Amino acid sequence: MKSSLLLCVALAVSLGVILVAGYPWEPEDKDYVLVNNKCQCVTVTSKLIPSKENPNEEIVERNIRILVPLKARENISDPTSPLRTNFVYRMTDLCKNCEPVETELGGKIYQAQQGNSCNEPETCYTYNRDKCYTTTLPFLHRGEIQKVPVALTPTSCYAD
Amino acid sequence: MTLLALIFLLAFFPAQPASSRYLPKAAISSPVFGPRQVYGLLDGSVIVKCFYPPTTVNRHDRKYWCRQSATGCRTIVSTTGYVAPGYQGRISIIDHPDAESFQINITQLAAADTGTYQCGVGINGRGLSHKVNLEVSEGPHLPEGAELYYVKLHSTLTVSCNFGKDAELERKYLCKMGKKGCYDIVDNGKKVDKDFEGRVLLSLQEDPGSFTVVITQMGWEDSGLYLCGFGTYGVSGETKELDVHVYEETSVPQGKPTIIGVKGSSATFECHYNSLKRSSTKYWCRWKPNRCEWIISDDGYVAPFYEGRVAMYESPDNNTFTIILNQLESKDEGYYWCMTDDVKEQQSSTQLKIIDGEPGLTGEKEVEARVGSRVDLTCHYPCKYYSYEKYWCKWDSPSCTPMPASDQRQPGPGVTCDTDNRTVILSFDSVAESDQGWYWCGVKHNGHYGETMAVQLQVTGGSGADRSLDLLDVDKPSHAEPPSHAEPGVIPKGRASSDAGEQSAASSGSSGESHDPNTVALIVGPVGAVLLVLATAFAVFKYRQLKRSDLVSVGSYRTNISMSDFESVKEYGASNKACVKESQETQLGGDEFITTGATPGNTAETKKAKRSSKEDVDLAYSTFLLTSGNIVQDTPGGDSRDSAAPDVPPPGWEGQI
Repeated sequence: MKSSLLLCVALAVSLGVILVAGYPWEPEDKDYVLVNNKCQCVTVTSKLIPSKENPNEEIVERNIRILVPLKARENISDPTSPLRTNFVYRMTDLCKNCEPVETELGGKIYQAQQGNSCNEPETCYTYNRDKCYTTTLPFLHRGEIQKVPVALTPTSCYAD
Repeated sequence: MTLLALIFLLAFFPAQPASSRYLPKAAISSPVFGPRQVYGLLDGSVIVKCFYPPTTVNRHDRKYWCRQSATGCRTIVSTTGYVAPGYQGRISIIDHPDAESFQINITQLAAADTGTYQCGVGINGRGLSHKVNLEVSEGPHLPEGAELYYVKLHSTLTVSCNFGKDAELERKYLCKMGKKGCYDIVDNGKKVDKDFEGRVLLSLQEDPGSFTVVITQMGWEDSGLYLCGFGTYGVSGETKELDVHVYEETSVPQGKPTIIGVKGSSATFECHYNSLKRSSTKYWCRWKPNRCEWIISDDGYVAPFYEGRVAMYESPDNNTFTIILNQLESKDEGYYWCMTDDVKEQQSSTQLKIIDGEPGLTGEKEVEARVGSRVDLTCHYPCKYYSYEKYWCKWDSPSCTPMPASDQRQPGPGVTCDTDNRTVILSFDSVAESDQGWYWCGVKHNGHYGETMAVQLQVTGGSGADRSLDLLDVDKPSHAEPPSHAEPGVIPKGRASSDAGEQSAASSGSSGESHDPNTVALIVGPVGAVLLVLATAFAVFKYRQLKRSDLVSVGSYRTNISMSDFESVKEYGASNKACVKESQETQLGGDEFITTGATPGNTAETKKAKRSSKEDVDLAYSTFLLTSGNIVQDTPGGDSRDSAAPDVPPPGWEGQI
């Protein structure tokens, strides 16, 4: 009984410390990027705003921006596939961060991956501007049909 | 109740890491940057310059200038060759991919041209654009637009402001525009905003009233409007507007912003610069609130406190220079800048943090030697440096000149790393006064400098021999022999390179002597000391033996045994083995009765042994009892030794012990 009372007191004190000390100073209007997915064209940002019910409290507001490419194909690398009519966006998949990040461990810098299931291929709904997408098309030349490689995103496919 | 409190408490914690883990919104806002407001005169012309990240895609993509309206953004001119009707001949667009910008020239301005436009890259309305407000007025004075700065993430921003003679004696400052006014970042006093600590420097230039501000490690939050001016904001003086935008190019970042050094070890800083100008001095300095303290520069200057600790290596092919700082202490924590005299040149900064730990390279840090003696400087390296290139060099400001040294372990085929033999030795056959100074042992990998360790070599001159030094050496028994044949491997004189031979880590030098006439006295000294030590050792040993025998005498039977030892030996002669054995048998105490084949003959002889006290008689009797017992037990066979003894404890013996 006495030990639980002591624990309660300790918790109360630590709570008090946090409430009084406050959060670390953050500059005005801090909008953070949670998701910037170029494959499915989704961005999610969040910020703290005063709540409507209680202006003294702060709540988290998330802005989700989705650009749906209506003229995209089912397979973006194959222009002969049918038009895509089914777009699925999952928050868990979008929030997964597979970008390697540099962390410091024992004085040396290492590259670490933040996500667990990063090996699964993603189905993209639109083109990533920095990547080059190509396909092969049948080309009738001198009576012969040849498969010729063509660039689907010419501006991204320059060598230099 | 406690559980609820705990949960409530935990709810507060996730708020903390958010600010450091996630990028601010500026990171995903449009990287295309241009002026916010452009002013033009009626019938005049105006130039709008827009910046974009010089990635491959952007450099080849279409650039456009469009007019914003309710329905979208209608293209006026673009790099694909289109010009809108009504603008023929008075507008042009030129792309400069090397300068990461494109330019729009508009002439013959009319009042109807006032409006909102967008300059952008790619396809209209996709977000890769920047909004520009164009205002055409009658004049005659046009307000000046802000000066644009387009800076790469983590790089350096250099801002120059010149106000002329008016500003000469006034306070000069740089502040950032915010919601509630302009927040001071730095001024020519000591004020520095804490967000900019360690990464901003304001320096006054030669022209009166002009100054430059350098900010390194530009982050996303540093984008925005700035004011540089003199006087005080809102109260007096003039200001100049600066518009800064940070962009990211998806390539390798420039230098590491933070370097972590282990206490006692070393840290390596790599400074990159864009062009090589031989006239400018390159230097490395430590950041202080209103100045940068010089530490080392390429014209040979080294700050007094950093003697032997810092070196600069230049590699003009890669446009870098490397600084190594060793013997790190906690007070070395701070910000260090790589700078050049040339203001337009790239300056960069790094933060150094010190942590506790073990340095990789170990060895004697201070070595004293006499002139003319042989000195070996040893450096042990751990297995992680097995494949690295190791070197020794002599420190002479501002660099460290490499010296020939040998690596004990030649890295041949095979991937094992022994725990011994990992040393690099620098030897001096005959050290001279000029060899005094700092020596560094270091590792290099792929052309990059790694860890180093500094050793200070002090040479005490002259033949006025430090006898004390010799005696110090000689204390250790391994060095007790006269120095002329001390080392296991004899090294002939004249060979400059170092040699094999396991040297102990504490090589204090003077174990090898050369044939100087002065050393005769030096040889006699150690020999005498050796004799003294031997004598002392002998005395101590004897004393202890005596002491032991004293202890033994408490159990009185023992003393007499030893006495009888001598007596019996004298009597029977040295070669009488049987008798010596016999007396040894009776000497044994405890329960360990090594009866080496007790035969009836022996028992008879034990009786016959000369005894001079009652104890001995008792001893002999008990021995007899035991041996007889053994004889009985012996019949099963063999020498029943210790196994027999505990089973048959002599009844009388316990009483005696």
